Amino acid sequence: MTTQTLIIAGQHLELHPSGAVFWKEESALLISDLHLGKITHFRKFGSPVPQKAIDQNFEVLEQNLNYFMPEKVCFLGDLFHSSMNSEWHRFESWVKKSQVEFILVAGNHDIISPLKYEALGIDLVPELTWGPFLLTHYPEERQGYFNLSGHIHPAVRLRGHGRQSLRLPCFFKNKHQLILPAFGTFTGSHILEKCEGDEVYAIAEASVIKI
Amino acid sequence: MNSETPFSIAEDWFQKQGWTPFPFQKKTWQAYLDGKNGLLNAPTGSGKTYALWFPIVLDYIRENPNYKKKHPKGLKAVWITPLRALSQEIRQSAERIIEDLDLPLTVGIRTGDTSTKERNAQRKSMPNLLITTPESMQLLLASKGYHKTFRDCRAIVVDEWHELLGTKRGVQMELALSRLKSLSPHMRIWGISATIGNLEQARQVLLGPESAAYRNSVMIRASLNKKIRVISIIPEEIETFPWRGHLGLRLLDRVIPIIQNSKTTLIFTNTRSQCEIWYQKILERYPELAGEMAMHHGSINKDTRIWVEEAIRNEELKAVVCTSSLDLGVDFAPVETVIQIGGPKGVARFMQRAGRSGHRPEKESVIYFLPTHAIELVEASALEQAVAKNAVEDRIPYLSSFDVLVQYLTTLAVSEGFYPSEIFGEVKSTFCFQGITEDQWRWLLNFIVMGSQSLQSYDEYKKVEVEADGRLVVNNRGVAMRHRFQIGTIVGDAHLTVRYQKGGYIGSIEEYFISKLTPGDVFTFAGRNLEFIRIKEMQALVRNSSKKTNKVPSWMGGRLTLSAQMSQLLREELYSANLPTAKQSDAIQCLAPIFRRQEEESLVPGPDTLLIETFKTRDGFHHIFYPFEGRFVHEAMGSLLGFRVSLLSPITFSLAFNDYGFELLSDQEIDIQAIIDNDLFTTSYLLEDLQKSLNSTEMARRKFRDIAVISGMVFTGYPEKGVKMKHLQSSSQLLFEVFKDYEPDNLLYLQAYRETFEHQLEEGRLRMALERISRQEIVWKACNKPTPFSFPIITDRLREKMSSEKLADRIKKMTALLMK
Repeated sequence: MTTQTLIIAGQHLELHPSGAVFWKEESALLISDLHLGKITHFRKFGSPVPQKAIDQNFEVLEQNLNYFMPEKVCFLGDLFHSSMNSEWHRFESWVKKSQVEFILVAGNHDIISPLKYEALGIDLVPELTWGPFLLTHYPEERQGYFNLSGHIHPAVRLRGHGRQSLRLPCFFKNKHQLILPAFGTFTGSHILEKCEGDEVYAIAEASVIKI
Repeated sequence: MNSETPFSIAEDWFQKQGWTPFPFQKKTWQAYLDGKNGLLNAPTGSGKTYALWFPIVLDYIRENPNYKKKHPKGLKAVWITPLRALSQEIRQSAERIIEDLDLPLTVGIRTGDTSTKERNAQRKSMPNLLITTPESMQLLLASKGYHKTFRDCRAIVVDEWHELLGTKRGVQMELALSRLKSLSPHMRIWGISATIGNLEQARQVLLGPESAAYRNSVMIRASLNKKIRVISIIPEEIETFPWRGHLGLRLLDRVIPIIQNSKTTLIFTNTRSQCEIWYQKILERYPELAGEMAMHHGSINKDTRIWVEEAIRNEELKAVVCTSSLDLGVDFAPVETVIQIGGPKGVARFMQRAGRSGHRPEKESVIYFLPTHAIELVEASALEQAVAKNAVEDRIPYLSSFDVLVQYLTTLAVSEGFYPSEIFGEVKSTFCFQGITEDQWRWLLNFIVMGSQSLQSYDEYKKVEVEADGRLVVNNRGVAMRHRFQIGTIVGDAHLTVRYQKGGYIGSIEEYFISKLTPGDVFTFAGRNLEFIRIKEMQALVRNSSKKTNKVPSWMGGRLTLSAQMSQLLREELYSANLPTAKQSDAIQCLAPIFRRQEEESLVPGPDTLLIETFKTRDGFHHIFYPFEGRFVHEAMGSLLGFRVSLLSPITFSLAFNDYGFELLSDQEIDIQAIIDNDLFTTSYLLEDLQKSLNSTEMARRKFRDIAVISGMVFTGYPEKGVKMKHLQSSSQLLFEVFKDYEPDNLLYLQAYRETFEHQLEEGRLRMALERISRQEIVWKACNKPTPFSFPIITDRLREKMSSEKLADRIKKMTALLMK
C-alpha cells in the first residue's frame, strides 16, 4: 500500500487509498461520502444489491481506525444515504464500540434526526473551522481558510497512446481546497477536468498516485 | 354447421372487392377453422392480415349463429404487433370486414400510445378484437383479474414473429403464451413471419417444443415469388469517393431523379441520426421538395408519425426518409420505389424493405442500394446475389433469459399472485426455458422474495412476498407501480423527452447525447434546428433556432452485423477483384482504382490469404487483420487474439472492428511473426481463452445493462411523468462491479457473460472462421501509411479495451504523456 502526504499550512495530511485523509497534528481521520444505508435503501425498494457490500464499508472503516489510530473521526457529509433503515443499527453498535470522538459535517443526504446523532454522542455541525481548515460537505472557497470537502465524488480520466483511457477515483486539490473521493462502496464517481494549478491524486488499487 | 358456409362468406367478400383469395389465404382459413395452430410464412403486402382476420371472424359467426340478437361480450381475439405504428392498419382491415359483413364485433387498440382514459374504459369492457404490443400484453398480465379477461379468448395472432424471435421481447411473448394456454385451453395460436432461415424453429419457439399446441399445428407458406430488382447506385468518379463514412451524402444528387420519377419513394437509413441528416440535406439542396417530403423514425412523436403514414397512403408525399420504423407491416400502395442508404446488414431486412414497394403481389419491387463509402460497393453486388439466391439469415432465439423470467414472475405476483408449482411447468414448456433446472427455479424464487439466497438478519428487502398458502404476491403498492413502469423498458437506453420551453412534445432522445450539450448549443432533431436551454425533470427544454448546426443526435442502436451467408457472399465478391474484368460485377469494376491503390500499398487478398497490415500513425501502432467474417466474429476474434498476445508480454490494446476486419491498436508494436510462430489463431483452448478474454473487456458489462433494467435491479424512473426518483437511481455499471466483487455466482450476473457468448461472439462461427484461417496463408504487410481497406476500421471510435499491464505502469505512462 502507498499513501501520499501533503503539507498544507504546515499541517500533514496523509491521503489513504481507501479515500480517507489522516490529519497528523490533530490525530483526526477525515472521511467523506460514506453513504451508509444506501444498499439497504435499495433493497427496501426491491433492488437486490448484495448485502456483503455493506460489510465492506465497515471493514474498511475498521482497517483505517487500526492503521491510523486516530483520536477523532470527522465525516464530511453524506454519512447516511437515506431515511432510517436497519443499517443505522449496525452503525450504532459500531460507533458504541469505537473509542474515538465522532463529528459529522452535515451533507445533503444527512436527513436523519439530529437527536439520533446526539444520542450516539456524535457532534453534528453544518460546517467546521478547525485550525487553518474549513471543513464542509460542498466545496467552498473562503478567505483565510483551506477548504476540505466532499460531495462531488471526484474521478479523473487519463489518456494514453493508442486511444487508451482510464477512469480513477481521486483526491482533487487546487490552491484553496482539497476534495475527497467517496469512501463508501456502491457510490459511483464524477469526472473532473484537471486545469492549470490543480493537483490530482488518483487511487489505483492499493496506491495513491500523484498524476 | 358445415364449413362451406363461412368459406363462401369470405369468398363473396373478396369477389366484391374484385380480388381472388390466394391459395395461402384459403389454406390458412381452412386450417384455422379445423382448429389448428400454425405459422404463416408470408411477406408484407401479401394480404396476410386477411388470411387471419377472416377465419377469426368466420369462427365467431359459426360459434354464435344468433349473434345479431345475442352478441357475447369480452375479448375474443388478440393480435400482437411488435410495432405500434402498425396497429392502425391492422385495425382498419379488421373493421373493413366487420362493417361489410355487418357484425356487432368491436375492435380496440392498446399500446403505449393509448390514453389512460381509453385504457380504463377497456378495463371495464374489453373490445372483442384487441390489437396490442408484447409490452402491453405483459401489462395486461400485470393487472388484477386478467384470468377473466382472457377466459373466452379464442385466438392469438403474433404478427411479424420473425422480428420478435431473436429478441427478449420474443421471450416475453413465449412466457405470455405459456400462461394463456392454461387460461384458455381452446385458444388457437398463430404466428406470421417473413422468410427467415430457421422458419421451422420459429414455429417451435412460438408454440413450445414438444407441446400439444405444436403437434396440432401447421406451417403455411405463401410462396409468392415476388420479384425484387436491386439497382446499385455506382459513383461516377470513384477516385474522389470517400474511403470511409456512413452518411452517403456524396451521392445525394443521384437520389433526386429517382424521387422525381416515382409516385412515392421510401428512403431507408440505418440510424435515426442518419435519417435526420438526410432529411435536412435533401431539403437544403432541393427546397422545392418542402411539403412533399417527410421523416419517420421511432423517436418522433406519435401524432407526427401517424400523420406521415396517412400522408403516404393519400399520395401526398413524394418521399419519406425513414428508419426501421417503417420496415414492417403497413401497406403503402403508392410506394413505387425504395432506396437503401448504406449496408442493410442483413438480406432478410433488405428484402423486406424492398417489399415496401410495388405492393401488389404480382408487381416487381425495386430497391436502389446507395453505398456510403467505397468498400461498401463490394457489399452492393454481394447483396444483389444474396437477393437472387434468397440467402436470408436465421434469427437465433434466446435461451434461459433469466432477466425476462424475473420480470415475468414479478408481473404475475403483481396481478393475481402465483403458485410456483403451477407456473414452473408452464415456464419449462417454453423454448427459452426448456433447460431450466429445479435449482435455478428455486434460486429465482429466492431472488425475487429475499433478494438473496439466504435470509439475513436486519434485511429489509421487499418485493415479492409469500402468503400462508404458498402463493407469491406483491402487496406493496410502490413495488407494483415501479414494476409496471419497468415492463415497457425491455429495449433501449435512458431517454429524455424533448419539449419546447413553452410546451409541446417533440420526441425523445438518448440521455447520452443530451449530456454532451451545453445550454445554447444547437442541434438537429425531428427535422428542426433546436437550441438546447436546459434539462428539467427528465426533459430537455429547447427552442427553435435559425442557426446552422452539424450536431445530430446519435442512437446507439445503429450497429448491426452481417450474417454468415452474407459474409461469405461478400468475401467471394471481394476475391473477384483478382479476376479478369469480364467476370466482375459493375461495382467491383468501378472499384478498380481503389483496388489498384490497395495493391500498391499492400495487397488485395484472395481466398487463400489472410492479410495482416501494420503501420504507425500518431494514434499509435495499428495492427489490422482482414478475415471478412462480419462484425461479431471479428469482435470475438479480436478479443481472443488480443488476449493471447497479451499473454506473451504486458501490453494494452484498444480494439476496433467492422464487417471486413479488426484492429489491435497499441502504444507498443506487436511482433506479427510471434503471432504466426506461436500459432495464436489455433482453435485449441478456444472456449477457455475466449472466456478469459471476456473478463478483460467491457462486453459482458454492457450486456449486463439491459439485464439489470429488465430484471428490475435498476430503476429508470418515470420519464413520462417527469419523476426522477433520484434516490433510487444507480448505474448498472456500479451494480455490475458490486456483483463481481460480492456475488459472482448470481445467475443474472452470469447471464451477462453467457449472452455475450451466445449472441455476441457466436462461438460456432468463430471456430469455423479460425479453421478457415488455418488453411490460409498468412501474409503480413508492413505498410507506410493507412491503406484503403484499413480506413473504415482505424477511424472507428467505438472501441473495446484490453490490458495485461499493471495499472500503476499504465498510469505512469499516461502521466508522463501529460508532462510533455
